[in-house]
This record gives sequence, C-alpha cells and structure tokens, in this order.
Amino acid sequence: MMSRTAFAAVFQNELILNSKRIAPYALIFLFAANAVLWWGWSAAATFGWAINSDFNIVRNFQGFSFILGLPLFNALLMGDPVVRDFNTGIDSLIFSKPVSRGSYLLGKFCANFFVLVCCMAAFMLTGLLLQLFPLPRIIVFPVRVFPYFKHFFLIPVISHLLLAVVFFTLATLKRNAKFAYAAAVAFYPLYFAYQLLVLRNLPPDWRVVLDPMMLSAFHVPRDRWVDADSINQIVISYSSGMIANRALILILVALIFMVLYFRFTITETERSRGEYLALNLAASEETVHVDPEERFQHVDVRANVSVPAVALVNKGARQLIAATSVELILLRHERSLILLLPLSILVSFLSLPFSAGVTGVSHSAIFAGSSARGLSLFLLGMIVFYVGEAMHRDREARIEPLLWSAPARNNVLLLSKFLAVLLLSLLLLIVAGLAAMLTQFLRGQTPIDVASYLLIYTLILVPSLIFMAAASLALNVLLRDKYLCYAVTIAMGSALIYLYSQGFNHWFYNPVLYGLWTESDFASRERVSYLMWLRVYCMALAAVGLVAAHAFFPRRSS
Amino acid sequence: MLSISNLRKTYNRQVHALRGVDLHVPSGMFGLLGPNGSGKTTLMKIVATLLEPDSGKVMIDGTDLITRKDHARRLLGYLPQEFGFYPTLTAEQTLNYLAKLKGVWEPKERRNLIGALLEKVNLSAQRNQRVGGFSGGMRQRLGIAQALIGQPQLIIVDEPTAGLDPEERMRFHNLLSDTVREGTVVILSTHIVSDVSALCTHMAIIRHGEILASCVPQQAIDALKETVWEGTVSREAAPRIKAECKVISSQTFNGLPRLRVISERQRPSEEFAPAVPTLEDYYLSRVNQ
Repeated sequence: MMSRTAFAAVFQNELILNSKRIAPYALIFLFAANAVLWWGWSAAATFGWAINSDFNIVRNFQGFSFILGLPLFNALLMGDPVVRDFNTGIDSLIFSKPVSRGSYLLGKFCANFFVLVCCMAAFMLTGLLLQLFPLPRIIVFPVRVFPYFKHFFLIPVISHLLLAVVFFTLATLKRNAKFAYAAAVAFYPLYFAYQLLVLRNLPPDWRVVLDPMMLSAFHVPRDRWVDADSINQIVISYSSGMIANRALILILVALIFMVLYFRFTITETERSRGEYLALNLAASEETVHVDPEERFQHVDVRANVSVPAVALVNKGARQLIAATSVELILLRHERSLILLLPLSILVSFLSLPFSAGVTGVSHSAIFAGSSARGLSLFLLGMIVFYVGEAMHRDREARIEPLLWSAPARNNVLLLSKFLAVLLLSLLLLIVAGLAAMLTQFLRGQTPIDVASYLLIYTLILVPSLIFMAAASLALNVLLRDKYLCYAVTIAMGSALIYLYSQGFNHWFYNPVLYGLWTESDFASRERVSYLMWLRVYCMALAAVGLVAAHAFFPRRSS
Repeated sequence: MLSISNLRKTYNRQVHALRGVDLHVPSGMFGLLGPNGSGKTTLMKIVATLLEPDSGKVMIDGTDLITRKDHARRLLGYLPQEFGFYPTLTAEQTLNYLAKLKGVWEPKERRNLIGALLEKVNLSAQRNQRVGGFSGGMRQRLGIAQALIGQPQLIIVDEPTAGLDPEERMRFHNLLSDTVREGTVVILSTHIVSDVSALCTHMAIIRHGEILASCVPQQAIDALKETVWEGTVSREAAPRIKAECKVISSQTFNGLPRLRVISERQRPSEEFAPAVPTLEDYYLSRVNQ
C-alpha cells in the first residue's frame, strides 16, 4: 500500500537534495541560454518566421527535446536518485521505516522528473519572455502564452517522461547509474536506427503514432521554409494520431513503472556491495566472503614473519610508468570499453564515403580525412568521460589518502591519468584507422597509402586528443565534480560547435580545428606547414591545461 | 621522536579543530584518545601531510613534516580512518602499486617484501583475489600491510578497529603491536580506551582541539589509586552526590542510579565501596572536566 505521507516525505527530500546540487542550476542556465540563441540566431530569424508562431514554437520544442543532449541531461538527473541512497548507505535507515516500495519509488521518480521539467521549463519560459524584447530583424506576433505551455507539455515533457522512466528503471534495477548514462548515449544511435529501419517504412499516420519523440509530426518540407507567410499561418492542432501517440507513451510509462515496482528489491545484492560500491570498513559482509572454519583456524597474525628491509629510491619517471600502468589496468576493467571498441570501428566505418568526391586527392587521403572527421567528436567525448572517471576514481574508491600520503609527486598522480586516457584513445584511433584501411581495401579503392593516414591522424587528431585530455584534466581539478565537468564540457562543446556551424570559426578559439581543414590541404606543402603551426598552438594550450591542473591540484607538496 | 608544537587548524573560519596543540610522542606505541569530534583525525591528517595547518610545526628527527612533505612521505606509513582500494585490483597488484609509489624499485626486493607483508597479515592465500571481494577485516589487514611498506619511522593508525568484530579486533591488536620496531613511532588514534590500555606505552587525551593530558597509561591509573568509588544510591541521594563529587559514570542498575565517582578525601556515603581504578576512569575524569 502506498502511503501519501511517505510519498510526500520522499518527494520533498528529493527536492531538497536537488536544490543542493549544481546540476539543476547549470541546466536551467544552459536551457535559458539555448532559448536566447534560438530566439535571435535560428532558422526563424534566417527565414523570417514569426518567433512566436505555432510552427516555430513546436519546431523549437522538437529540436530542444532531441538535440543538444537533453536525453543525456535527463539520464544525469534520473540515473542516481535510488543508487545514491545505496551508495551513501542510508538505504537501510530508510527501508527500516514504514515506507512502501511504491511510495519510495514514485516519490523518487516524481520529484526528480519534476526537477527535470522545471529545468526544461527554463527554455520555454525564456522563449515566452523574449516575445517582449523583439530584435529589429525578428518578426513577432502579439504576445502569446497558452501555446507555449500547451506544446511544452505535449511535446518535450511527455517524450522525456518515457526516457526518464527508462533511465530511472535501468539505474534502479541495476543499482548503477552508469546503466542510465549508457542508455542515454545509446539513445541516439538506437533512435536513428529505429527511424531508418522501422518508421521510414511505415505509412505517415503510423509514423506519427509510433514516434516516441514526435519528430515525425508537424513536418513541413524544407523547400517551403522560405515561404515565411504560409509558415506563419500554420496553426498546429493535434490529430488523433498524435493524441494516440501521447497516450501510448503514458501507457508505456505506466507499464515500465509496474515492471520496476515488481522487480525492485530493497535487499542489497552481494555483487553490488562487493564490486561497485564504495568500500566501508564497517561492512557487514564478514560472513559472506570468509569461510567461518577458515577464519577460526588460519587467520592468526604471523608474528614470526619478518618484513625484509628494502631500499627506497625516488625515481619520478619510473613512478609515472608504474602509476600509468595501474591506470591502464583500471581502465581495462571499465565495462564501457567493451562497447567503445566496436563503436569506434562503427563510427569510422559510417563516416567513410562510398565514392571519391574530391579530385586531385588520393583515396587514402579521403578515407583518412573522413574517418578523422567522424572520429574526432567521438574520441574527444570519450576522453572527457574517461578523464572524469580516472580523476575521481581515487576519491570514490577511498584510496586517495593512501596514494596522497605516498612519496610520489603530484605530477606522477596527475600525468598517469592523463597518459593512460591518452594511450587508450590512441589505441582506439589505431583500431579505427585499421578499420578504415580495411574498408578502403574491401571497396577496391586502392592503393592504400599508409603515410596519408599517418599524416592526417598525427596532424589533426593526435594534437586534438592531447589538448582535450589536458583541458579535461584541468577542468576536473578546478571544478572537483565529475558530473559538473561533463555538463560544462557538453554545454561548452555544443555552444562552440553551434558557433562554428554559424560561421564564427577561427583557429584561435577552435584548437581542435573543427571544420577548418579539408583533405586537399594535405596535398599542399604550404598548407601542411600552416596546419603544423596551428597544432603548435594547440599543444601550447594543452601545456597550459597541464600546468593549471598541476597548480590547482588540491594535494600539497613541498 | 615526534614533536608537535603550537599546531592550529580552523575550518571555514568558525570551527576550531585544533587550538595550539603541543605534543611530544616518543618511540613505541602512542595512543591518542579523544571523543568524536575532538580533533584526532584532523591532527592525524596533518601529521600524514594530507591537510595544511594554519600554523605550527610537526618535527621528526629534526625535519618539519609540514614544510618538507615529500621527505615526510618517505618516513610515513598511514592507515586512515576511512579508506578503500581499487576493487578490481588484486591484493598483490595493490601492494605492488603502492610499493612502487613508495619507491621500492628493485623487483626481487619488492616481490619478497610483498610476499612477507601478505604472509604477515595472513592474506597470502588471497594474494590473487580482487580486493572488491574482501571482508572488512581482510581489507583492514591489507591496509596495515600497505602502511608497513618501506620500514616507516612513523606509522599513523586512525581509528583502526571501528567496525571490526572482537575477534578481528584482537587480531588487529596483535598485528599492530608486532609492527613496532626500535625507533619507530606508532600513533594510534582512537576513542576506544581499551585499545590504548592494551597496546600503548604512552598516551594523550585530546578534547575540543586541545591536549588535556599526556602521560604513561600506568601512571595515569596510579594517580587515581584510592580515589575511585562505586555504589548504588537512592534516586533522592543521587543529585547530592553528583553535586559533591566528580562523577565518572552513571548507570541505572535494578532501577537505581549506580555511580562511579572520584573522591580524594573520603568515602562519598555509606553506599559506596572502593573500586579498582582503570584507564577508562582516568579518561572519563579528564574528558568530563
């Protein structure tokens, strides 16, 4: 039976916990900034659509709910509410009170989804308010309020309710928030595959009913976008198919929640305590791991064993190698790596062209260039993720005091993480490069010129990876919170890519050279030397990042 | 010998964790006793070079540990109150890594050292087992093994027996007392008085960031000789006794207050009988001053 009081207590407590986190405020800021960008510098301004026309409002909500990582932010908020209780060890205190599973789960879910909706509402409310401040080049109808609320509720809120319940269920049942994050990352390829393999083959009406993000609805062909008058006349109304779509989503949400309710157990799994949770000296699993007979017979301290004397040598380089090799072992144990290796090959494969499009450039240069372009964002994202994991792993595993009291210099502790992640990304790059070469061979576009691959990868990708690893290292040291670092990096990355795509692209603030090179650059010696100078700048920025990380590293040395 | 002088630490400009601590710690096992929140862990963290004090010095053999942290870390073996290991590494991999960080580079030497340490803490059979599957006691033993790497001159053990069952606790005591070599300083920070009376040759009591007493445990007990009394009194008499004498402890026994008090001059009342003083009496009498 669900107790209303317990539900309210869990709900209120979750709101208090969220009010003390940085993530919701960062999301509110990010979404509001996003609304400002879409108000003044989006397709509406370009094509002359009224900023508060039905079509533009709906289009903005569709875009908002899909691009710029809203599913990732959804997972960020919905992934850890229950896991947090188990990690902090408060679970036994909560479940020893008369709280039913229903009120606990529903309280957690509703509160966190409410917080997510509040964050999302920053986008809607900013858009609504900006009607009052028209720019000269923007067309604005008289102020409208209801359409903003209506479309906001019916499009992003309900779509993200489904994602939220999926992320929440996965993380809660597996007792690990990483499952929610992995699901959020997998969402995009899965959704694209669903669009291509399922929805595209269905009649338009079914497409509308079965598209969970409602991107197939309200579609206007691109050639009609220039006709601003007719676009501004469009009145969006919800067809029966659209209403069925939303109803279907709500039914799915209820079903998934029921599965969660029946499968959720308050007893802690041995696996989760043993492998994934923070270690606790006051753990109660004494009898779980140790054979009682063995305990009583063999566990006396060996007083007669003498510990041999050893010579202590201070060799920073060797310590660095040792620390890097341990970091690599730890990275090897990351389960996400099993997914990343084939994914890097897939990304490389998908980015390759079917035919050579640039004349005067070798097949190998085109393949190397295309794969480098496809891999760059993937590898940069991977670096951000793994640097965050590596930088905070010591604290999460509570081994930090042991390492920090060892006579190893700060640069050993920092550079080992930097080098391990960099080596991992280089390994993925080599694998993806080999996949590109194999594809080139299988497509018969020979000869394979390995030098072209080496040149493009070394000049374009490797410095970018070094820069990103150094920048992430510095950011993690400065912000001291893994998830905040992820959010800041995603926000900055999205904003910069948006700026670059709008034509504001200069090497000074684009150290990874996104969109600043083509394959034909590598045919000219002058262009190559120019690119090399740009990479020197990139390396200098990486050095600044490493110095900043070292300077602000909280462990003091003297 | 470790010498701490005028050590101060304030958190957020409000919480005075240490208020000018002066302490001389001789070789051997030294117990630092104090209630929760007394500043023990702050003091241990500063001595372990993990926390920066506002002012003061921590000297060992003429070297200031505050200003020469890298040097201090060579002399140090530290077992913190809360710690963990990488759950995916084995016991041997963990010790191997920490030994390398400590500077043990000769492979054969390191192998022998790790073998001996694992043997000493009786984890040889689990050397290739992942630490994530270890019990609390096993983890604690691995913790002491890592603290012994490289013959540390200063071993700091912060609340080591919290959460251990009595059997594992006793085992840990044996292990700890076995680690003391000549010239080594072992600081045992705890709020469990029996740990100190069982292990330590010297002790200090800390409360509210100040050292209340620094002495030899037996001397502390001797100082209370013929001054400790215990008796069950009526509810009406209890307030009078509490006002007149220094009460060490008060329990309810058969519905009546059972008091243990210090009275230097005379028996508090007829219900009281002389009691054999313990280190706990000394500790409680100083802490409850």
